Amino acid sequence: MPLDTSTYNLALLRVDGRRWNELRDQRGQMGVQPSADGSAYLQMGNTKIQAIVAGPNERDASKTNSSASTAATAGGLGATVAVGITVAPFATVDRKRRGRNDKRLQEMQTTLAAALAAAVQGQAYGPRSTIHVSLHVLSQDGSLLAALVNAASLALVDAGVPMTDYLVACTAGSTSSYAAADEAADPLLDLNTQEEQELPFLTLATLGASDKVVAMVCESRVQLARLEGMMATAADGCKGVRDFLDRVVREKGEIMVQEGAVGRGEVVSSMDLD
Amino acid sequence: MPREAEPSQNEKDFVLKAVREGHRLDARALDQFRPLDLKFGDQYGVADVTLGKTRILAKVTAEVTVPYTDRPFDGIFTITTELSPMASPAFEVNRPTETEVLLSRLLEKTVRRSNALDTESLCLVAGQKCWSIRVDLHVLSHDGNLIDASCLAVVAALRHFRKPDTSIEGDTLTVYTPAEREPVPLSWLHSPFCITFSFFGTVSVGEDEEKDIWLLDTTRLEEQLRVSSCTISMNKHGEICQVAKPGGAPVEAVTVLQCSNLALQKVKDLSDFVDQKLAEDSKRRNKGGLLAELSAENAR
Amino acid sequence: MSSSTLLLSPAELAYLHSSLSLTTPAPIRPDGRSPTQFRPLTAETGILPGTNGSARICFADGTEAIVGVKAEVEKTPVSPYEFVASTEGRKDHSEKKSRRKSKKAENDETSMDVDEDGDEADSAAPVKMEGSPDWVELSVEIPGLRDDDSGTVFLTSMLTEALLADGEFVKKLWINRRFHWKLYLDIILISPPLSYPLPLLSLTTHLALLATRLPRLKSEADEDPMFDDDWAAATFLYARQDSEPKATSTQSTVRAPASRPPITLLVMAVGDNIIFDPSKEELAVADSAVAVSVAEGPSSLNSSESDPDSTSTTTTKRNLHLLSVRTIDPPSRLTPPGVPNSVNATAWGTMTAATAAAAATPAGSVASTEGAAKHPDARVDETEDVVGVWKAPRGGAKFAMLGAMVAKVLERGGVADEVLDGLEGVELT
Repeated sequence: MPLDTSTYNLALLRVDGRRWNELRDQRGQMGVQPSADGSAYLQMGNTKIQAIVAGPNERDASKTNSSASTAATAGGLGATVAVGITVAPFATVDRKRRGRNDKRLQEMQTTLAAALAAAVQGQAYGPRSTIHVSLHVLSQDGSLLAALVNAASLALVDAGVPMTDYLVACTAGSTSSYAAADEAADPLLDLNTQEEQELPFLTLATLGASDKVVAMVCESRVQLARLEGMMATAADGCKGVRDFLDRVVREKGEIMVQEGAVGRGEVVSSMDLD
Repeated sequence: MPREAEPSQNEKDFVLKAVREGHRLDARALDQFRPLDLKFGDQYGVADVTLGKTRILAKVTAEVTVPYTDRPFDGIFTITTELSPMASPAFEVNRPTETEVLLSRLLEKTVRRSNALDTESLCLVAGQKCWSIRVDLHVLSHDGNLIDASCLAVVAALRHFRKPDTSIEGDTLTVYTPAEREPVPLSWLHSPFCITFSFFGTVSVGEDEEKDIWLLDTTRLEEQLRVSSCTISMNKHGEICQVAKPGGAPVEAVTVLQCSNLALQKVKDLSDFVDQKLAEDSKRRNKGGLLAELSAENAR
Repeated sequence: MSSSTLLLSPAELAYLHSSLSLTTPAPIRPDGRSPTQFRPLTAETGILPGTNGSARICFADGTEAIVGVKAEVEKTPVSPYEFVASTEGRKDHSEKKSRRKSKKAENDETSMDVDEDGDEADSAAPVKMEGSPDWVELSVEIPGLRDDDSGTVFLTSMLTEALLADGEFVKKLWINRRFHWKLYLDIILISPPLSYPLPLLSLTTHLALLATRLPRLKSEADEDPMFDDDWAAATFLYARQDSEPKATSTQSTVRAPASRPPITLLVMAVGDNIIFDPSKEELAVADSAVAVSVAEGPSSLNSSESDPDSTSTTTTKRNLHLLSVRTIDPPSRLTPPGVPNSVNATAWGTMTAATAAAAATPAGSVASTEGAAKHPDARVDETEDVVGVWKAPRGGAKFAMLGAMVAKVLERGGVADEVLDGLEGVELT
């Protein structure tokens, strides 16, 4: 375990200077892509995601469930949410090209599609309609799945798709390695790549600020006893992320109202989406 | 693309209502597994798992190959899954469905990434020769709960498997046939098992208290009706290897924690079951133990 | 070629085509632009700190692309024939070279270039910097298209071709005789492909390359390369004119101070009009479309490659030269034709008496429409142009037209000039 846990124990500061329950710097922006129905740019630390929403459109049978995107139906008879993820080859420190048939990406797409489908009020549209969410990973530094969920959520809000609440996600890890059985291990919030490689962690997606778990993914070995602490930490992080997303949406709304009061034509047309 | 036949509305309503009232169509308790059977083949490394009407066959093979250049000290370990049309008409050959991708990823995370098999022990000559262990998983019949049954089959097959013994003298690597030297088991570190919980919405308990309903070991019909699922992989020491709740309807965090505690119980049961079956099998293979083998007596 | 289908009726296409082919006073474009006017675009660079260079461009129609450039140090495979090949390639230098080689053998690293003239003598490297096209890898990602889709492959090869055309670019990647930079250019179209994305991708690549910086080389000659950790000291791949070239910096900054990466522009012709930066609606009625790649550089070694047109422009302030011309199959070829009134089965009033009579007979009622289509006059009507009826263009562009299009791109103060000026204004971070 190359992470300097001894330093952590002494100062209770992580490698990037954060406390255990601190989120990284987050930035969000809505409506970054004028030609899309909805778009958002989200930055969690150095993980940068751009999300584009197209639709709801009439379902294109040839496109859904191809290798480029994975679909899940929202609310029984409602619209389908199709998710496609592209990881830019320059997103990681070492350039790496990922094929579209990468199983890890496909699994992530499935998880995202099913998770978003749980938040979207699909019955507002017919069962023959599809909402396409395409996500571009521009830079990758940990908490990828969480950042993807949050970016997609923000883009769906921008597109005016009705949702029960923001779908928010966050990661949490534990300072103890799986082998050590010490109970004094601290949970950590919002991990970066370095921490992800060294510590067990999980990604938790909740519906808004509630404790309702929509998606949960843990890919590392960890003691069962740690699970509760990690989940609680992640859920707290989700609340923080929800507040942040809400702030972004409200700021955007204020700007729209202000500009709308001036009577600019463009703003009115984008207001129509709501 | 062929699609699975969906249950009729009447069937759906009936099953869901029954589940809400705490009953299942096959009269099991909500957390009860179907009758589980595990058979080993005559060859080493063949496991046949039957769980209700779900039947899965896993076969392990080993060969000597060149290791990956970026991991010269590790052997190669792969799990391949194939869902053929034999198991369900919804599966097609050479076209991985979502179920198949998820299944293979789950097995990968549960068995491979959790280091259940010590891949370093598969190395023969660093950077030049190593064992490549391959598990082929065939779903013979699909009646729900593929994940738990597949994981059990993979783990059982790998623990049952014996690879040929080898020795290195100088630069020569010798692989012995079973007649020359008894094959050796793989270096196995821990046995993870998957437990899948299927959620069926909530029922109200008392005043504005709601409780999530979940089932264990769902049949195909139940699987088609569930609103979400959560697979927890653990070993009997209480180490979580993997948790996956891939979206779907939200579930209270407390429920997930309860599920994980119950999963530990079930994993211990499964672990004991596999241990017992392996012991039975080795007894069957090795009648009379070492004494019988050393005896000069023969059948004549 | 265009990835998204456009829903325009034949009548709309015909209207668009005729308004675009007006010659007096000028063609009327749907958005009121002049034929040579570019749409406004927003651009920024340095958006991704994890890359050596990155850029993002947003076109007015909402299409957006991001390009990231990453560089890795790679070992140059030494081939035993390399020396022979390089001397053969440049006969005028062969003598110098061999002399230099022998000198090098004698007194190794001393200054032996005193008696020689020419720029090569001034450069620190005793050997010619050579590049190989393998040193650049370019990938294009279009959402919704497979990696091996013909459209993507075509775009990739066109952009690569423009970049490698003059052979100067790869020389910038030379570190020493044993090592070179391997440059990965990853181009991602963020938005759905609304219009033909070539110009957008090309301009974004141009900006990203301009913003690309490589760590400053600290080691000398053919040692294993060592680089300065300080990113602020990193040198631009394309040297900025205002920044003074450092003596210690890589030779590329000294060699080609004014050169800039190529850009590829899309030009289309309707009738006799040449129209720049076509929107997707305009492209749907193009008679022909051409992708022209141009680059700016010193009055180059490769004048032989460039078009005769460009030689006339070598005296201009900006020295543009032509790198490649590719015809693009315009989507207009796939549009459904309009039906002239004379053969339109639904327009009964204009039917000829004969077919009308045939239609009147009860037995012939089914066959009547076919009869109308097979009528000899109708056949003529179908193949010949009828004013106001849309017909997909057939055949290629006239040679004179192609020449005019290319000339218009290279024109002094022309569109390429204007675009390069515009991109120059983008702040490099």
